Amino acid sequence: MEENIRINKTTEDDGVIFMSVKDEKENDNNTDVVKSTDVTILAIESSCDETAVAIVRNGRTVLSNIISSQIALHTVYGGVVPEIASRKHIEKIDYCVKAALEEAALTFADIDAIAVTYGPGLVGALLVGVSEAKALSFALDKPLIGVHHIEGHICANYIENKDLEPPFVCLVASGGHSHLVVVKDYGEYDIIGQTRDDAAGEAFDKVARAIGLGYPGGPKIDKAAREGNPDAIEFPKTKIEDAEYDFSFSGLKSAVLNYINGLEMKGEQVNQADVAASFQKSVVDVLAEHALKAVKEYGYDKLAIAGGVASNTALRERLEKDCANNGISFYRPSPVLCTDNAAMIGAAAFYEYKKGVRSGLDLNAVPNLPLGERERRFHANK
Amino acid sequence: MKILAIDTSGLVASVAVTDGDILVSEFSIQFKTTHSQILVPMMDAIKKNIGMDLEQIDAVAVAKGPGSFTGLRIGAATAKGLCLALNKPLIPVPTVDGMAYNLYGAEKIICPMMDARRNQVYTGLYTFIPTTHEGTGQITYTMKTIESQMACSIDELTEKINKLGKTVIFLGDGVPVYHDKLEELIQVPFSVALLNHNRQSAASVAALAQKIYEDGGAINGMDFAPDYLRMSQAEREGGSPKGSKKTTKRPGIVRIREMRAEDITEAYELEKESLGHEAWTEKQILEASTRDDTIYVVAEKTGKIVGLCGVRNVSGDGEITNVSVSKAHRNDGIGYKMLKQLIERGKGLGINAYTLEVRASNAPAIRLYEKLGFKCEGIRPSFYTEPADDAAIYWRKEQ
Repeated sequence: MEENIRINKTTEDDGVIFMSVKDEKENDNNTDVVKSTDVTILAIESSCDETAVAIVRNGRTVLSNIISSQIALHTVYGGVVPEIASRKHIEKIDYCVKAALEEAALTFADIDAIAVTYGPGLVGALLVGVSEAKALSFALDKPLIGVHHIEGHICANYIENKDLEPPFVCLVASGGHSHLVVVKDYGEYDIIGQTRDDAAGEAFDKVARAIGLGYPGGPKIDKAAREGNPDAIEFPKTKIEDAEYDFSFSGLKSAVLNYINGLEMKGEQVNQADVAASFQKSVVDVLAEHALKAVKEYGYDKLAIAGGVASNTALRERLEKDCANNGISFYRPSPVLCTDNAAMIGAAAFYEYKKGVRSGLDLNAVPNLPLGERERRFHANK
Repeated sequence: MKILAIDTSGLVASVAVTDGDILVSEFSIQFKTTHSQILVPMMDAIKKNIGMDLEQIDAVAVAKGPGSFTGLRIGAATAKGLCLALNKPLIPVPTVDGMAYNLYGAEKIICPMMDARRNQVYTGLYTFIPTTHEGTGQITYTMKTIESQMACSIDELTEKINKLGKTVIFLGDGVPVYHDKLEELIQVPFSVALLNHNRQSAASVAALAQKIYEDGGAINGMDFAPDYLRMSQAEREGGSPKGSKKTTKRPGIVRIREMRAEDITEAYELEKESLGHEAWTEKQILEASTRDDTIYVVAEKTGKIVGLCGVRNVSGDGEITNVSVSKAHRNDGIGYKMLKQLIERGKGLGINAYTLEVRASNAPAIRLYEKLGFKCEGIRPSFYTEPADDAAIYWRKEQ
């Protein structure tokens, strides 16, 4: 998987990083003759600080995957600034669409449908992608498919695991979400657990800031933890009594902050690496224990992970080991497909397309779009 | 030429299709709907009703700003998507210029204004200059821009209008918001445009777009971004210079906002930390901040109050009564940002000069005041006690 992924990166004058992601193995498939039953979807994602456009065939073959990442612009503010993100999306979006078509050596005439993330996310950011997608759909007279961002993350697993089919359990963990989801069928999701307070990724960001690692917290803690001792400090693992699959990370975050304050009061140095490793172990333990338990109790034999936190090395290693020991097949996307991208939106859109789901031109951005009980308000065929 | 024009900069969502000098269709909605939901369906309705072939459009025109940031982006992303799909050029039209075009032919001063919040309007000043053509006797008009579109306070705007001394016609959604203030400050005859000319109109955008197109103002849609006329709040307040890789010592955005009742306890703690026994009591702060001749603002960072300052209007002179920044956040430019805002907001109270007292030995504070244009105009010997110190009197007078 990962070894085939090649990322072409260029940093633009404004600090935005432009990436074209290629799976070399896929490119061989690309020369296949296009069949009339093939469905080629142009997908747009702009829910946070990445402007992304991809072209995906039949939900599993990525023909192009363009990501314009603004992360460097937001670092100075210690987190994503919505207005700055929205402004950059507007500047970049057409270029990403054009690059996606060029990279796939296609024109608009080859596209069967336009897909776009319409929530959840930052409303101003989402609106750029949604408005662009609607204009393309209207001007080209192609069907429009609104996609749930988290469903996209889950579907990222289909891209590199051609054999993965529902049902399975998926652990979704990112800066904004921590969900344990049963994927019953394509496009059918039951949420069995979710966070009561902070998302896992949020806890990473906050702790990273507290120990001076800065933003973004996920990769920084992942890296620092490799030098540290995960058993150096005993941080709590919160269990929720009445909902065994729910998460809570704010207690853990407070424990870390208290620990740091305690040391500072005594005038002692904080060992960044040990705090990072011990904190990370606590998060990984909870995520892995919940996920394993769910797979076993629901009687499935497949576990997938998705979202930014799914690229955390400790979590991947832990789940790989636990799954192998329990006869569970473990699926995870390449790190670049764990972060926000449009290829995953194209994958999710394909299965919606097959089911006949079409969005109307009145599709709106829904910043807190729920997963599971899905928003059908804007679907043309209610 | 055929133009598809869009304006979503304000309260109205408006789409028009023009063909040469004919307005084929215009569809505007000013209702509680969101632009993002109705804009493309409005276009679709026009397309269906006039059997429009989008390929036949020569260009897409869009109100480029100023306006509501989100509204501008909905229009911009839609226009960009259309241009990209149809391979057509984009004509950006300054929003306020487009509004002035509603009153084509008016030889009075035309003043469109949109509510820009924070006590400001997006506005500009225009008039139409007639030219009589020999032979036919027909008059044509050229729009003259007296003040280009900008963001400014009503006070600044009325001052400019009063100086021109000519009859003015107001239009735009800023008029009802600031009507009382306009009545109070304006010294020239004025009227307000009727509802048929009073808001953004895509037809006006198209009419002006034609002229911009003829002057070579069409661009590739890919390179288009709105002209906001304002930086984002984060850049304004937590600002680091564009492109700088400066790492902040204490990350987190500083927000400057008006003080509220629930801030009082935190504000008192801050005062106590920074001023010790000279600090005001909670009751004093509460009383001072709730009067209507005062303005108090606080600096908030990651949910904590890290700075506060306040001013009291004493017959046009602003007496700055408090300036505190928490010890952990000094030298972060918080005092500067707070005072800048305080001075800006003070204009709303009619303050045109500011004064304050400071311990003569407090060099960092004095540096800050001098940076803001304050000048030392006197000393009160031994004004302060524990430790004894002179008070330096500083004044900042509007130029």
